Amino acid sequence: MTVLAQELWSELTPLRIRARQVAQGIYAGAHRSALRGAGVEFGGYREYVPGDDLRWLDRRSWMRHQHLLVRQFETETDRTLCLIVDASASMGFRGPGAPATKMAFASLLAAALARIALRGGDPVSLAYLAGRAAEPVGRSSGREQFERVVASLDAAKPDGDARVDRGMVDRAVAWLDRSARRGAIVVVLSDLIDLPEDAADRLSGLVSGGRVVVVVQTLSPAEADFPFEGPIRLRSLEGDTVVETDAEGARDRYLAAMAALAAKWHDAVVARGARFVRAKTTDSPARVLRDIVRAVR
Amino acid sequence: MAFVSSLALLAALLVAVPYAAHRLRRRRAEDQPFPPARLVAPLPQQTRRPSRLEDRALFASRAVAVAALAVLGATPLIRCSRLSVQRNGGASVALALVVDDSMSMRVAFAGDNGLSRLERARQGARQLLASAREGDAIAVVLAGAPARVSLAPTTDLGAAQQAIDGIVASDRSTDLEGALALARGVVSSLPQVDRRIVLLSDLADGHPDGPPLDDPGEGGGGAPVPVWIALPELRGDTTDCALLRADRRGIRVHVTVACGPGKSAAGRDVVVEDASGKALGRGSIGHGSSGEVTVLLPSDDAVPDRARLTGTDAIASDDVAPVVAEARRGAIAVVADTSGETVATGGAPIVEQALASLRADVDLRPIPAPPDRAADFADYLGVLLDDPPGLTPEQRHAFAGFLERGGVALVALGSRAAAAPLGASLDPILSRASAWVPVDRSAGADLGSAVGPLVGSVQSLADLGAERRATLDPDDARAFERLVNWTDGAPLVARRTMGRGEAWIVTLPFSVDASDLPLRPAFLAMLEGWLQVARQRATPRRSDVGTPWKFAGAGDVRVVGPQGDVSSIRDDGVARVTPSLVGRYRIAVDGQDEARVAAPDERELDLRPRPYSPAAAGARASGSRASVDASGEVALVLLGLMALEMGLRLWSRGRDGADSLAMARSDEA
Repeated sequence: MTVLAQELWSELTPLRIRARQVAQGIYAGAHRSALRGAGVEFGGYREYVPGDDLRWLDRRSWMRHQHLLVRQFETETDRTLCLIVDASASMGFRGPGAPATKMAFASLLAAALARIALRGGDPVSLAYLAGRAAEPVGRSSGREQFERVVASLDAAKPDGDARVDRGMVDRAVAWLDRSARRGAIVVVLSDLIDLPEDAADRLSGLVSGGRVVVVVQTLSPAEADFPFEGPIRLRSLEGDTVVETDAEGARDRYLAAMAALAAKWHDAVVARGARFVRAKTTDSPARVLRDIVRAVR
Repeated sequence: MAFVSSLALLAALLVAVPYAAHRLRRRRAEDQPFPPARLVAPLPQQTRRPSRLEDRALFASRAVAVAALAVLGATPLIRCSRLSVQRNGGASVALALVVDDSMSMRVAFAGDNGLSRLERARQGARQLLASAREGDAIAVVLAGAPARVSLAPTTDLGAAQQAIDGIVASDRSTDLEGALALARGVVSSLPQVDRRIVLLSDLADGHPDGPPLDDPGEGGGGAPVPVWIALPELRGDTTDCALLRADRRGIRVHVTVACGPGKSAAGRDVVVEDASGKALGRGSIGHGSSGEVTVLLPSDDAVPDRARLTGTDAIASDDVAPVVAEARRGAIAVVADTSGETVATGGAPIVEQALASLRADVDLRPIPAPPDRAADFADYLGVLLDDPPGLTPEQRHAFAGFLERGGVALVALGSRAAAAPLGASLDPILSRASAWVPVDRSAGADLGSAVGPLVGSVQSLADLGAERRATLDPDDARAFERLVNWTDGAPLVARRTMGRGEAWIVTLPFSVDASDLPLRPAFLAMLEGWLQVARQRATPRRSDVGTPWKFAGAGDVRVVGPQGDVSSIRDDGVARVTPSLVGRYRIAVDGQDEARVAAPDERELDLRPRPYSPAAAGARASGSRASVDASGEVALVLLGLMALEMGLRLWSRGRDGADSLAMARSDEA
């Protein structure tokens, strides 16, 4: 299949099918719950206290040692996957050489992650940073949840200016605080451009609730490599920034600034125990997905 | 190169204009969406595009377009004039295209390298056809002698195109006046009111001092038919030399060289070659424009095939002539009664002595009686019968075959012929017996009736003395062509064509006892004329190219010319072949082979054009015009360049808008 055909395939194929393809062969694996109680796998002994279920009293220990011990079992339980997709205007940028917009790429990753989680029996929720027609999806599991997530991602359009709407991150974090329980996995998909200064702290702060936070920076190749030549006039999609410059002369300084931005986020996120993953829209979605899954573990 | 052409070519320097325009083209950088724009450091002092050559493909297209326009302006360099038919009020026209296919049209056209005048004329004819419309009547007349109608008037333009394509070069002489007369004849009967004749010729018809050609003449309805000399540039001041004939006589080959006016073949040689091209002899041409060159062959056994004129001139095809050799020394069979025709001095009969006195290059063979087998006639050019007492059936059969194959007979009728025995006759020469009757004292030869070889010596037949003479049956008399009559109108000497041969009769025997005819000079003139006919039939017949050969009575005629088979046509049952090329032709008539030679017409060597009035070459003379427009090739190039520029612009616009389109797509997504 030619590159063009692949691009057409990726653009024309419904998101649910693409997400299933990307998620195919990637498994999150079983994750143990911190809660102990009724289960199938032995988890040790503890002293009996009144009120314990007598079904778990260890008769052999009482008969041999005259100690009342209660057997404990570990149980496999679900871990909620909370997806936060940046749907601000800057995510609608595609750029030369890119197969799709950043929003499309992030949506694909989000849908694939949802597919993986739901296949493992874990519930999934979806929230947005800005966006038009971007309806969040509440925590749930089951096959229908995947359809709800995909439908929401399909309907969402890049819109909104993070530099103007300073509360978009706060609203998303507040929503997560309410819906994401302890042990939940939070995946943030964003270009991290034009977000408020405290966005890194606010998002990485979710770790404090016993959650696993993964921040995925999604950039177009033009943003990552700055391939322009000659005199150029650049206009930002959020804010009123218009820059006239010479590409060759400004390239190094731009790349340095972009690296500084990534480093700032990396440091802020990792310092709080979260993970940071960088991706370009030209990367293989399956490879990026594996990186995210690996970061979660 | 003309000054105007050079000036037009200088316009190619205008290529610098698009170059400068592309170099000086500065434009403000277009807005590009870029989310992290705030991370990009502004450099306002370098935000304008530098002065550099942009859109190289577009520039190349424009530069080539300017160069093509310059070439187009230099029209003398590239022929871009086209002939077309101008219409009066859009009405249909009747057009007679007179195309000269004579030998002079073989000359290279001065305007184009490698193109002959004929090819240029055909090109012009095609251009005229291209401008013809439905309803126009086209006729094609060829001006090579004899002028002929190649295509009768038709509205089928496809047929006209085929007729033009079918015109091939020939070595014919030129008959412009005949062709124009034919053209007037064919267009005058057409219903179109607007009738025209277009002459495509170099006008070299051998009459440079003749009257101008553009006399419009009268059409059928009384309206003059204008003549347009469409391509006056076909005329050219050039000269040519040719070999008119090359005859072998014994060990020598006599070659006749002729040149056009003002041209001398001095310094050129005549080389006689055999069939393989090996030179057998060479002769130099002295001073003068024409003359005869004698080339000595190395031996009697040499077999010369052709004579060739060294050097080059305007027409190459007439620089070679086939060598015509007499096949063998012919013989004349003489059947005479020596007992009754001896003269007082004794010796051979007087007719034999007369033939011998002519010193003709033939053998005389007295035989006692005509052969009765056809094979016995094979050695004879002619048979002379002096008062034969009829022919037996076998003799008649052999004699008829001899005449059919081209033999020549001379029969003197006398008393014995009139008293032929039963079963003997002179058939097939005479169907009925002749009579031997007394001659009135006042009777004699009719001097005014003499034609042919006897014209010069007929005076000697005055007061012809004869006691008796032979008379023919009226039916037989009508079959003969009279060369001279008796005063009462009866034939004295006559001839008739029989098959491919010829039979002569004389109504007096060749005996001085019967008349004094053998003593008259006209007798020798008659014998010489008869011998000449006999010799001509023994050697290949030479005629001017374009002169038809007729084969009366022939059933199957096959002709192979210098360039292959030549088709024959039949007119009233007579096969006719017109040689259009100079050279040797091998002819098979009913299984009998013979050779003939077509020689160039000396007039065709005069390449000076016939005068015409300047109005005939102009646009108004015929209502037609030579429209100068873009030559097809350059115009197509320009069209292609325009399409290329449009394509490049679209492609460039599409490339520039690719990002915007992607943005729009992403917005929609």
